[in-house]
Amino acid sequence: MANNFLGYMMIEGTDSSLRGVALITDTRGIPKEFVRTDPLRPEALDRILYGESFSAYAKQSLILENLLDAVSNDPQIWICNDEEILEPLKTVSRIKSVMLEESPHVPLDAHGHIETSAEPNVYLIQAYVNGAPLRAEFPEGTRTDEVEQSAGILTEAGKSMNILEPFNRLQKSLSYLATGRA
Amino acid sequence: MGIRSYFARHIKKHIDVYRIDDFNLEPPDIHTLEHEVNVFRIEPSMTVNVTSWTSSIKMKCRAESRIFSEYRVNAKSYLVKRYVKQNVKAYSHEVKSKIKVHDAMKLIRDMPLELSDMLKYQSVKPKLLNNEMLLAWYGPIVEGAVIKLVWNKQRGTLLVWYNPQSRQYKAKGVYLIRRLGFGEKPEWRWV
Repeated sequence: MANNFLGYMMIEGTDSSLRGVALITDTRGIPKEFVRTDPLRPEALDRILYGESFSAYAKQSLILENLLDAVSNDPQIWICNDEEILEPLKTVSRIKSVMLEESPHVPLDAHGHIETSAEPNVYLIQAYVNGAPLRAEFPEGTRTDEVEQSAGILTEAGKSMNILEPFNRLQKSLSYLATGRA
Repeated sequence: MGIRSYFARHIKKHIDVYRIDDFNLEPPDIHTLEHEVNVFRIEPSMTVNVTSWTSSIKMKCRAESRIFSEYRVNAKSYLVKRYVKQNVKAYSHEVKSKIKVHDAMKLIRDMPLELSDMLKYQSVKPKLLNNEMLLAWYGPIVEGAVIKLVWNKQRGTLLVWYNPQSRQYKAKGVYLIRRLGFGEKPEWRWV
């Protein structure tokens, strides 16, 4: 049965430790599922072998794939705030994916309105009735109809929740897991 | 030289020139130079004397019946502390491909949603009495699902706890209104 869940993915950490969390919420922001990884502590040899690409490898191939494997509810769309995991989020999950950020832009003409941007694969979406539009970056190769569908999902969710708010909770939970302090 | 020839040279500046018709010199003797090269086989052993307390290495090179001069090479002297073993074991480095994932619902279940003030985006404002002023607007919030609201005065945010079992989905916004006057308390007004 199809649900109207939203999926949030966040992977953060330092050079010595990386950790990922995935949250599935309904369109009110109420959590339905939340999973976290153990911290990934790379050895010195891992860093030498992978060099500059270690962070991308760890985020994409280790943390993201294992988080997606562990999640039992498929959301309508995966939302992230990290460009490094945007592409693999779509490729691995085979679900619509978007990177969302606040935008300093003035509100667009109407609720649900989409505006193209000078940047490739980036759109402004008026997801809230009252509020600034969201800056939405889609993976390369996302078709226009997929962008419109994604904007539709976000606009519908924007009626009953602040779409970016779950990132606050993910950030807090990651800090708690890393330091043991709320 | 006769007198005539003497006067002719000094007074008349004449000198006698004779023609030699019979130019019959012997060619020079040409001989092949004989030389002998002594070739010595240098002994393959070369001794290098290194001492830990000097900063030079002595190199001696010997050939049959000859000893070449010593060459001194300036070098830092190191004490050999460890020898490389002949049989070196190779180990494989395992690159991780699995990382443990845990259910952490307990951690996030009780965490409230934290909403920021969005008053500046409200195009339609509520009617206010003379002693009232708008402080903030928070939303969208599903009023029917709310268990608890707490205003974080320091951060200017509203903390919202929802009932996860609620089936309410209709969202509203809530204004925080300040009433001017002694002892008046702020009011939450849903719209």
